[in-house]
Amino acid sequence: MTSFLQYTIFGIILGAGFAIAATGLVVTYTTAGVFNFAHGAVGMIAAFSYWELVANHHVPAVLALVIILLVGAPIAGALVERVLMRRLHGATAERPIMVTLGLLVILTGVATIVWSPKSQYQLNPIVSGSFRLVSINLQYQQVLTIGIAVALVIGLRFLFSSTRTGVGLRAVVDDPALLAMSGASPDAMSQYGWILGFVMAALAGVLLALTQEQTGISIVAMTLLVVNGYAAAIVGRLKNISVTFIAAIVIGLLEDYIIYYALPHLSQSLNSDITLALPMVFLFIALVMLPSVRLRAVGRLSTVRVPRMPSGKESVLGGAAFLVLAVIASVVLSSVVVRGTNLLNLGGEVMALGIVGLSLVLLTGYSGQVSLCQFSFMGIGAFLMGKVAGGGSLLGLLAAALVCAVLGALVALPTLRLRALYFALATFAFADAVDQGFFQDSRVFGGGINVGRIILPGLSFGGDRSEFLLLSVFFVLVALLVLTIRRSLFGRRLVAMSDSPAAYATVGLNLAATKVAVFAIAAAMAGVAGGLYATVNGTVGSADFGFFSGIIFVLFVTVWSIRTVSGAFLAAVTYVVLTTFWSTGLGLVAGAGIILIGRAASGILGIDRLSTLLPLPWVRRGSAAGGSGTLAGIGTTSIGGEARVAG
Amino acid sequence: MSPVDDPRLPSELNGGDLPALTVSQVSVSFGGVSALTNVSLVVAPGTVTGLIGPNGAGKTTLFNVISGLQEPDRGAVHFFDIDVTMMKPYRRARLGLARTFQLLELFGTLTAGENVQVGLESTLKWWQWSHLRKALWRTNGSESAPGDPTAVDALAASDPLAMTTPDRLLAEVGLEGMAYEQANAMPTGLARTVELARGLAIGPKLLLLDEPGSGLDEAESQALGTLLVRLASTGMAVLLVEHDMELVMRICDRIHVLDFGHVIATGSPEAIRSDPAVQTAYLGTGSAPGGTR
Repeated sequence: MTSFLQYTIFGIILGAGFAIAATGLVVTYTTAGVFNFAHGAVGMIAAFSYWELVANHHVPAVLALVIILLVGAPIAGALVERVLMRRLHGATAERPIMVTLGLLVILTGVATIVWSPKSQYQLNPIVSGSFRLVSINLQYQQVLTIGIAVALVIGLRFLFSSTRTGVGLRAVVDDPALLAMSGASPDAMSQYGWILGFVMAALAGVLLALTQEQTGISIVAMTLLVVNGYAAAIVGRLKNISVTFIAAIVIGLLEDYIIYYALPHLSQSLNSDITLALPMVFLFIALVMLPSVRLRAVGRLSTVRVPRMPSGKESVLGGAAFLVLAVIASVVLSSVVVRGTNLLNLGGEVMALGIVGLSLVLLTGYSGQVSLCQFSFMGIGAFLMGKVAGGGSLLGLLAAALVCAVLGALVALPTLRLRALYFALATFAFADAVDQGFFQDSRVFGGGINVGRIILPGLSFGGDRSEFLLLSVFFVLVALLVLTIRRSLFGRRLVAMSDSPAAYATVGLNLAATKVAVFAIAAAMAGVAGGLYATVNGTVGSADFGFFSGIIFVLFVTVWSIRTVSGAFLAAVTYVVLTTFWSTGLGLVAGAGIILIGRAASGILGIDRLSTLLPLPWVRRGSAAGGSGTLAGIGTTSIGGEARVAG
Repeated sequence: MSPVDDPRLPSELNGGDLPALTVSQVSVSFGGVSALTNVSLVVAPGTVTGLIGPNGAGKTTLFNVISGLQEPDRGAVHFFDIDVTMMKPYRRARLGLARTFQLLELFGTLTAGENVQVGLESTLKWWQWSHLRKALWRTNGSESAPGDPTAVDALAASDPLAMTTPDRLLAEVGLEGMAYEQANAMPTGLARTVELARGLAIGPKLLLLDEPGSGLDEAESQALGTLLVRLASTGMAVLLVEHDMELVMRICDRIHVLDFGHVIATGSPEAIRSDPAVQTAYLGTGSAPGGTR
């Protein structure tokens, strides 16, 4: 009984930390209309900054907190709003998702450079000392955490319901123009919201870090620990602070009970995997429990610039030309080794990853579904390729396609009724849960599984050159398939669904069926890509399909162009080159790229004027509205006020 | 084929005397605010029925209930004698219930022709081989540069019949030759007409039009009126929400007036024009609705 009480109190303490993180998310969403995927990373940076100040530079704890919460976090929040988010007003729905994901990978990238993951980072409580409560030893620090959480919830409720600033903060999302007419500055209100959100993320990060005194803090664990707050915020529908608080406490309790009661009965490796996957499992469950979103007319036309679509003949000729170039490259690169790396094998990896990029073109570029879990399907495909029929068999590829298609449909089914943000969050949760709960399990990939090269009757692809050419052929075939789909009835439906779900339903088309179909097809493509990827180097491991790697790859495809085959290919090239030669900078480059692209939905390949990329305050808002850096002023009589752009 | 002579409907509905639409005692509230209260109305096949009322009267909410985008708290909606109250929007559309939106809901990155084509193809299965085969070699102009004559010529050369049917429908609503215009680059008035053509593409028996006249000039408004009367003459039921009172009074056979979520009057245009309750609802005075836009 005593231990139950103890776990309950510890659960409440944990939940209080989650509550601070979750209410911070709700504040940002309520005041800026943006779900900040980097919220956990902001908390993580704050926690490490606190360690840096207190443990490394011996700054008094309270002073360190003041520096982080009253100086660092507010400045960072204000800068992010001013430089990154303000440019996104009026952009398509996936833009803020991508930009905050970019911020996430930049922050984790910076943290990895500054605080080596190999070192230990231990923290001492801010307030030392303890007391006994019903035979349980409680630290003052823990009571402080609960007190702060309760005070914050009460304070925020008062702010939003009873003060003029609070009403302004809420109003800025509903109608900035109307708010401006009432004398308030929408930009300033939005900035206050970001500042408040960052301060709360930082506070949550530091307080949660202090609960990790036994294990120490790590970059990934700290980032994901705050993710527990995501689930609570979703239960509160991203707007109800009281419900969010209660949900956070419940999640804290559940996590504590599971860790102390259920996990000890599991094996050590599984125990650790599940502990790390729990936040995402909670998030996924919270999302699945959300009520269906009501289809509604939004009255805003998609203003995305549409790249020129090649005809069938042009596609085939382009594919043939690509293969000729691949043959030439295979000759030129056949014996080139740079810094110990065989360039032909890198080329093979590019082709396989290019297919993952193509799955994103279909899923996100055409149908508007933001998926962050394509690397999960890729990893599952690689695993199956290694395990089915002894590895290197076409049966493995078939199994990868089929299993991933079914899995894709299963992931899509409970979440397709949700709107774009929640759908993206569901794939975010699924990706991390698969990574932590499956890929990281030593029984899955272990130190890496061996996968032989593909063997066809009478044909051997054992050589690097033939392997590279085989993967090039696969890439071209899948590219042709994607382009054919786009030109088909199904492709028109995908674009129509993306442009206006309400209109889509009212012309007699089934949204749910289309979403499941496209998600399953894209998952199958990623599974096949994983299978092919596994054959390139003969061995694959969990590190090849990591959660953050998947997000980074999505960002690269978006940066180049998520609507074109070229964008998918160039993203694969960028990813493979950076992974091989400058892995430390991978996240930084992807994050910087997506931030520079900003609201340009067509990516680098769709940009006419490079100056629109600069995230400078004096770059006129609206000059690149929705449709990328197209010339402002042309086509002002059109519906979207957007330029009609010649191909 | 007459719009009411359709194999998708039970045989007894084809050519029968049933109302195309029966709304019975429908109520909807958002939080504590009542948007519709016990609204009932009937729309007969072969007629144009007006639904008018001041801003915020609940007209669009009622359209959302009828088309399935909003579930009513109470009441029922019947399409002929089929209870569609809980039916999903796409199933209602497949029965022959089409709508347009007050704020444009076009497929903006598709061309005008493709917008119509999506409607035309709504009953086809996407895996049908003939469509995939067609897609393999066709430049359908959808993602070509809007207005790029090369792309249009390429299409005409590769598949002159590709857009025949969308073209025909677009011509019917006065948008001849505009199949290759990207929808989000079209002026509002033309875009509204594309939305109407897309609605017609599903072969509706009941057409809900939410302010189709906004953004149209005098001549375009006249043409719209003529088109709607012609559609009704084929047996189609048209329910029209419109602020252009001159248009409503000219073409509607019957008018329902909504105010604060209640039906306050129903009758012929003449009866509505002289109804004191309607006059009060519109202007707070004894002035008649009509003649104003």
